[in-house]
Amino acid sequence: MKAGDRAAFTRLARRHQASLFRYAVSLARSKADAEDALQKTLIAIWKSAATFGGRASVKAWMLTITRNSVFRAGRVREAPTDDEPLAALGQQAGWGNENPEELLQRLQRIESLERALNELPPTDREALVLRDLEGLSGEETAEVLGLSLAATKSRLHRARLRLMARLTEESADGS
Amino acid sequence: MAHERNVGGLTCSEVLSHLSDYLDGEVEPATRLNIENHLRGCDVCERFGGHFSAAVATLRRNLGPAEELESEADARLWQSVNAALDE
Repeated sequence: MKAGDRAAFTRLARRHQASLFRYAVSLARSKADAEDALQKTLIAIWKSAATFGGRASVKAWMLTITRNSVFRAGRVREAPTDDEPLAALGQQAGWGNENPEELLQRLQRIESLERALNELPPTDREALVLRDLEGLSGEETAEVLGLSLAATKSRLHRARLRLMARLTEESADGS
Repeated sequence: MAHERNVGGLTCSEVLSHLSDYLDGEVEPATRLNIENHLRGCDVCERFGGHFSAAVATLRRNLGPAEELESEADARLWQSVNAALDE
C-alpha cells in the first residue's frame, strides 16, 4: 500500500479490522476503549504506511500499532506479576493428576474455552490471541509484544497452562 | 511434587517445560526424541500432553477467525476514520 492510496488502505483495514479489534479487546478495560483504540490504530496505519518498508508481516505491524494505541491511551487492564513456579502452574492445569475424560470433553468445548480465555489476565490473553488465534509465528509475536523470543515463549506457555487451569477448575466445580 | 519420573532421558518437569515448544514444532530433534520417549513411557504425562494439545488445537481451530464488528460499531469507526483522513 503506497502512502496516499485511500482505496488500498480501506481494503487493507477492512480485511484486518476484526483481528485488530479482538486484540484491542484482549488488552483494554472495556469494549468502548477497544473501539477508541481501533480508530486511532487505523488512522496511525494510514499515516505511517510509508514507514512499513516491506517488513515480513503486515499483520504483525498492524497489531503492534494496535498495542501501542491501547497502551498510549492508558486503557490497559492491570496485570499481576508472573513469578509462579512452572510446576505449580502445571499442577493447577491438571499435570500429574488423574484427569477424568470429562475434562477432555470440556477442553474441546468452544464456549468453555471462550469463557476461560476471557477470564485470563490481559498478558496471558494477548499472548494466546497473537500466537494461537491470529496465527503469528513466535518471532512475530515477540515483535508485537516487544519481548525476546525466549520471554515470549515463556509467557505463551504459562498462558496456555493457566487456560487449562481455568478449565480444570470448571470441571472440578461441575459447572 | 505430585508426580515426577525420569523416563526416556527426561523428567516429567522437563517435559512440562518443553510442552509448548514441542507442540509448536520448535524443539531440537534430539529433545523431540527424548520427549516422545518419555510420553511413550509415562502415562500421566502422555495423558496431560494429550489434553494440552487438544486445548490448543480447539482454541486455534474454533476461536481462530475473529468476529466482524457489529454494523453500528463499524459505521461509527469508519465515520471517525474517514473524517480524520479527510482533514
